[in-house]
Amino acid sequence: MKFTSRLTVVALACAAASAFAADPIKIGVDGPFTGGSSSMGVSMRDGVRLATEEINKAGGVLGRQIQLVERDDEAKNERGAQIAQELINKEKVVAVVGYINTGVGLASERFFQDAKIPVMNNVATGSVLTHQFDDQPENYVFRNAANDSIQAPMIAEEAVTKRGFKKVAILADSTNYGQLGRADLEKALALKGIKPVAEEKFNIKDVDMTAQLLKAKEAGAEVILTYGIGPELAQIANGMTKLGWKVPMIGSWTLSMANYIDNAGPGGEGARMPQTFIQEPTTPKRQSFIISYLKTFNPKNARMDSPVSAAQGYDSVYLLAAAIRQAGSTDGQKIKDALENLKAPVEGVVTTYNKPFTRTDHEAITANIPVFGEVKGTRVVYAYPDDFKKASEVRVKDVNAKGALPAAKK
Amino acid sequence: MEILTQLIFSGIALGMIYAVIAFGYQLTFATSDTLNFGQGDALMLGALVGLTLVGMGVNYWLMIPLVCVFGAIQGAVVERIGVRPALRIKSEFGWIMSTIALGIIFKNVAENVWGHDDLKFPSPLPESPIHFLGANVLPMEILVVVGAVLMMAAVELFNRKTIWGKAVVATFNDRDAARLMGINTGLVITFSYALSSMSAALAGVLIAPLTLTGSTMGAVLGLKAFAVAIIGGLTSGMGIIVGGIILGIAEKLTGFYLSTGYQDVPGLVLLLIVLAVRPAGLFGKTAIKKV
Repeated sequence: MKFTSRLTVVALACAAASAFAADPIKIGVDGPFTGGSSSMGVSMRDGVRLATEEINKAGGVLGRQIQLVERDDEAKNERGAQIAQELINKEKVVAVVGYINTGVGLASERFFQDAKIPVMNNVATGSVLTHQFDDQPENYVFRNAANDSIQAPMIAEEAVTKRGFKKVAILADSTNYGQLGRADLEKALALKGIKPVAEEKFNIKDVDMTAQLLKAKEAGAEVILTYGIGPELAQIANGMTKLGWKVPMIGSWTLSMANYIDNAGPGGEGARMPQTFIQEPTTPKRQSFIISYLKTFNPKNARMDSPVSAAQGYDSVYLLAAAIRQAGSTDGQKIKDALENLKAPVEGVVTTYNKPFTRTDHEAITANIPVFGEVKGTRVVYAYPDDFKKASEVRVKDVNAKGALPAAKK
Repeated sequence: MEILTQLIFSGIALGMIYAVIAFGYQLTFATSDTLNFGQGDALMLGALVGLTLVGMGVNYWLMIPLVCVFGAIQGAVVERIGVRPALRIKSEFGWIMSTIALGIIFKNVAENVWGHDDLKFPSPLPESPIHFLGANVLPMEILVVVGAVLMMAAVELFNRKTIWGKAVVATFNDRDAARLMGINTGLVITFSYALSSMSAALAGVLIAPLTLTGSTMGAVLGLKAFAVAIIGGLTSGMGIIVGGIILGIAEKLTGFYLSTGYQDVPGLVLLLIVLAVRPAGLFGKTAIKKV
């Protein structure tokens, strides 16, 4: 009896205290923090945490602190859908950042669309993600990652035009990400008049790529274009070492993942991929981001596991915070309207976001922003010295940038 | 021709990986008619413990016996906690749930201890391929095949030649009769679980340099090995090897000649055919269950 009454007193005291302080603004963070995609998920989450901490230290947004509600979707589509409903109905989040895996994003985002809660997709790249609701009057899905309709043509350009390969093979995993990316790659190659000599598929957790690589080799492939995630990409590189057949690998940005670089070892060197951010202190903003990231999370060998995910995760929170500030409210619709019409530029790590979104354009990154990275000495560096030299000039969004595939239709 | 040889070699290497894991299923089935569904997780634990030991500076070859000891203890624990209570009350299905549950617990523990990422296991042998009959083989693949065969031969020899092995065989043939003859069948079953997890742990450190090491490495392999055990027959050591090689080669050949998208289909089709035509497996003895 005594104990329960004491509890009641404590509970009442807590309730009273929280009623005085402004309620925190709840933002959901969804990503795979376990499994093969986890190096992206965890780096993204760390980027998000870093930005949130900075904003909260500076007084928060609308005088309220940001509170993160982090959930691990394990890269499983059905987990993502469950989490989406939990974030909406139980946690009552104001907005959501995250989504690493295109499939998970596709499965989850319709719940937020129905609940009118904005989603800032900061890593997943499937082209359709921001076009799922094109036929509806309002679209609540935004993205600050380089989507596949940008990446695929970049890969084709690098392989066919810049390096002159005519016979290309595509190796893609069997997930939504791999197969949607493969379709985009085919389109981009077709625009250059190239038809891949081999198109092979593999599953997550496959440990032997001999059959896929032999087919590519037999077809006379001069380069391998990849759409997959770290561990399996490493098995491709290892498989090439085993077969004693070495052709360049060019692929989507996931070739920069730490678990590709570490598991492929020397066989993985030289792989090239589009990157929105490379861990180099080329601007003061990037420098301070890298320093505080390394100080806070202390990754092995002072290397971020997935610099792109960390940078985009960091930027996504600042974009949302700016929108909430401009809207002066945490109402989903008002935040969405603010995002579509951001008045003040937001200085991020990837770029300076100057009117990043409009009513019909929910992509903050355009084809002129990403550069090519290359795996060199177990780190990702600028593939072209010219890009490195000019890296301090921040590349800003250019809606007329050439190179992207026409917008994907649902 | 070169291609075919290469595919067959890769298939054999992959098949032997499946076979070593499947061998563990066979060991426990032989004594207690139960299976450790956490076999894949025993393999994963073995590989991760091995990785930690190597990281601490223990030599790869010295690490193997240590991992075997760890595997044996882990297997005995699984039997004591998960299987024995079910056997005592003659539950038909209790052990299925409890071994799966223990497997999940081990996986979660591993996630907390070693993290979620796939780690590279340093290869004890050179990583450059050897040319053999026009195809390329990694030294590590040869080690897996040799290690698997040696391990299975050792266990078979043990079962056939030693008094302990005879107790194992007797327990398999008729558990109640064996008990009446003075064999401590409970201990034999614990021992078979220890042996089974030991073989899984050994398989783990053998294959880890080829695959990647991480808390989820056991799941797919454990499942494929289960298919192998059914195809080859749960009562036959020979069947496990043949079943593994058939599945490995079938996967690689389908991948190359049909489509890599269908790589996993032939094994499962084979599984269905075997279950329909010879439910005891290709090499299994058909047992008549008296009710």
